[in-house]
Amino acid sequence: MKMNSKYDMPGIKNEVARKSIRNSRPISPDFHLFESNGYNLLIPDGTRIYEISHDLQEEFKGLIMKDDKLLIGKFLAEHGLQSLGTINDLPIVEPPLTAISLAVAQKCNLSCTYCYARQGDFGAKAKNMALQTALDAVDFLFNNNSKSNRMNIAFLGGEPLINRPVLQEVTRYAHDKARDSGKEVGFSITTNGTLLKEEDADFFEEYGFAVTVSLDGIGETHDRLRPYKGGKASYEQIRANVLPLLAKQNKMQVSARVTVTPLNLNLKHVLDELVSLKFHSVGFSPMLSSPTGEAEMNGSAFEEMLENMISCGQEFERKLIAGERYPFSNMSTALKEIHKGSHRPYPCGAGAGYLGVSASGELAACHRFVEDEKGYFGDLYQGIDRERQQACLTERHVHRQEPCKNCWARYLCGGGCHHEVIHRGRPACDYIRGWLNYVLQAYIRILQVRPDFFLANLSS
Amino acid sequence: MKNPKSIEPKNLTAQLHYRGAGNPPGTHPSTAISNSFPGLEADFRNVWTHIFEGIVFHEASNLVIAVEETEDAKINRLVNSKAQYFLTKADGKFMVVPVSGPSGRPKVPIHDSMPLEWSNALAEILPKAGQFVSCKFQSNDTRRKPITIKLKVRHFFDVDLDSTGKILNTRAVISRHLLQPGDLTQSLCSPWQNDYRECGCFYWAASRPDYVNVEPDIEGKSSGNNWLEKDKKKKSPKSYISDSQDEASANPQLISYQDLFKSWEEKLSFIIEGKEEGLGKRKKTTKRKKGNNS
Repeated sequence: MKMNSKYDMPGIKNEVARKSIRNSRPISPDFHLFESNGYNLLIPDGTRIYEISHDLQEEFKGLIMKDDKLLIGKFLAEHGLQSLGTINDLPIVEPPLTAISLAVAQKCNLSCTYCYARQGDFGAKAKNMALQTALDAVDFLFNNNSKSNRMNIAFLGGEPLINRPVLQEVTRYAHDKARDSGKEVGFSITTNGTLLKEEDADFFEEYGFAVTVSLDGIGETHDRLRPYKGGKASYEQIRANVLPLLAKQNKMQVSARVTVTPLNLNLKHVLDELVSLKFHSVGFSPMLSSPTGEAEMNGSAFEEMLENMISCGQEFERKLIAGERYPFSNMSTALKEIHKGSHRPYPCGAGAGYLGVSASGELAACHRFVEDEKGYFGDLYQGIDRERQQACLTERHVHRQEPCKNCWARYLCGGGCHHEVIHRGRPACDYIRGWLNYVLQAYIRILQVRPDFFLANLSS
Repeated sequence: MKNPKSIEPKNLTAQLHYRGAGNPPGTHPSTAISNSFPGLEADFRNVWTHIFEGIVFHEASNLVIAVEETEDAKINRLVNSKAQYFLTKADGKFMVVPVSGPSGRPKVPIHDSMPLEWSNALAEILPKAGQFVSCKFQSNDTRRKPITIKLKVRHFFDVDLDSTGKILNTRAVISRHLLQPGDLTQSLCSPWQNDYRECGCFYWAASRPDYVNVEPDIEGKSSGNNWLEKDKKKKSPKSYISDSQDEASANPQLISYQDLFKSWEEKLSFIIEGKEEGLGKRKKTTKRKKGNNS
């Protein structure tokens, strides 16, 4: 595959990102034109992707000028691209619960400036989850999971390993309960890595955990953003703790999650380093909303992040064609979703199939809404507050979001993380569209030269 | 792209919902009636007739009706004898089951080896596409021994394979090895003969009244004809003759499926305002003369 060589040349700062943002403006909610090995078209309704002729592309451009919704609908129908109505205005109603997170420790030993949990305690009294509460939460999940055989339990905090005994006990309990009831339960944990011990590797391996370690860079970059309380550096300790886990990965998968702030935008370097350590995958997520406003991303930082993300994506393409491993999860996940044509009215399962459980047993729309009145959904003992849940699902439907309903990317993005949008709004739309536009282009290229990549991802 | 208006679906949802230029809405499953096996626009059962390399099934049963060109004597025996052979087991899974019922205890046996509907019967076989599975065929002539052959399962979806059989690419369309052009539409249902007779007036296909020539009586009751009665000239009191869906035991006083297939134009009349038009003086069909365009 011929790469665009100008991407590799120094030029105007963030030239590639700016071009991608320019080419991905939300001109029509009904279609998006992009170029990659020819002329291409995305129909958001059903996330359908086509290669089209130059003549047809010109006709689509003409439609943009006319800005007539009826005319566009007629034109699409004439070309067999008619509306499918895959997503209507109705919210989902009383969805079955398939996943919960347990805030087993609402406390943390790190002091990350931007932490949504306000250094671990969510702005409330620091506490651990009692074993009985955790067991009750598992029972609650099983009792509310009549329609599905597959469930997931995520351990979050704070730092969940502060409460290791409860974490282990409840894992065994849920595992046995699933086995006895013919269901499957998966486990995941998001940890800062400072308290990991070698024996944790055996435990996580035994139960097939998806382990996510938060790392915001290499060495000093990480230390500046994620120091211990008191300011001590944490990176070297985490690295030493994680290496035995990385070596033991079999059933267990150990991934790195990098929260991107204006202070750690050198993503390619971080990705290469973490990949070389043999992380199962590495993903980047921009810091959109912090309780104090510190380290939040802004306009120029988004541009730089996009420039870096595309650079990582191009490396992913090169490595994929060369048959080399390069587990850049933002890229592989987006490609997989695009290939399947995923389309959804919400950004994630929060408040629907997924709920957070606080240390005291309250239900929250997700792990970020713990101790937050805005996302309170009842408790383990009174059950899900269906009225609040339905109000949330109605309100958060992407058709009710502005400016989402006029954006071509709405069913891929889903309107953005509820927690971030409620607390800060939508500062990242240009970045999200610019990234998706790049991935769409990469999709067309990869489909041509490595279609087997999608096959492997489908079967997994 | 040579065609100035060409559109090529790339991802799976685009492939799944693609409608070729010129094709009407009914060609797509989501906009077709496709309400039964067989359907009005396509007969999905034909998908399964070539699911194993080497043999061809009847679209509605597990009967082998043909074999593909082969030197394999065992395969050829499936069709080259007076007996018929049926697939009864594949990869250890039963393709036929005993059926009993419909209710009550003890249950009444109805059939000792009814073929399962293909989509269900093959559900656990399809993931073995590209592999050989053991297939057991039994004859309707019980003196003949069963024949067991290893047959290769075909891919359901269109795939690109490398020289070792490894899948390189898959598309959201049915494999061209399962269906040749015309196969999906070769055995459509005949609604204006079958459904028209079979379905009651509550059903869309039966756009005609079931109860005709109705005459109210002084008690507030009525008498009339079943629309299928051959002889509706009988004098009152008319009575409604019940139908049987079983062709063999069908009431001979009623128009049969065969009658409709052979000569519906002669057997049926218009029914206007509940009365059969021209009762007693059925018209003959007239042939249009050549060159007469009126």
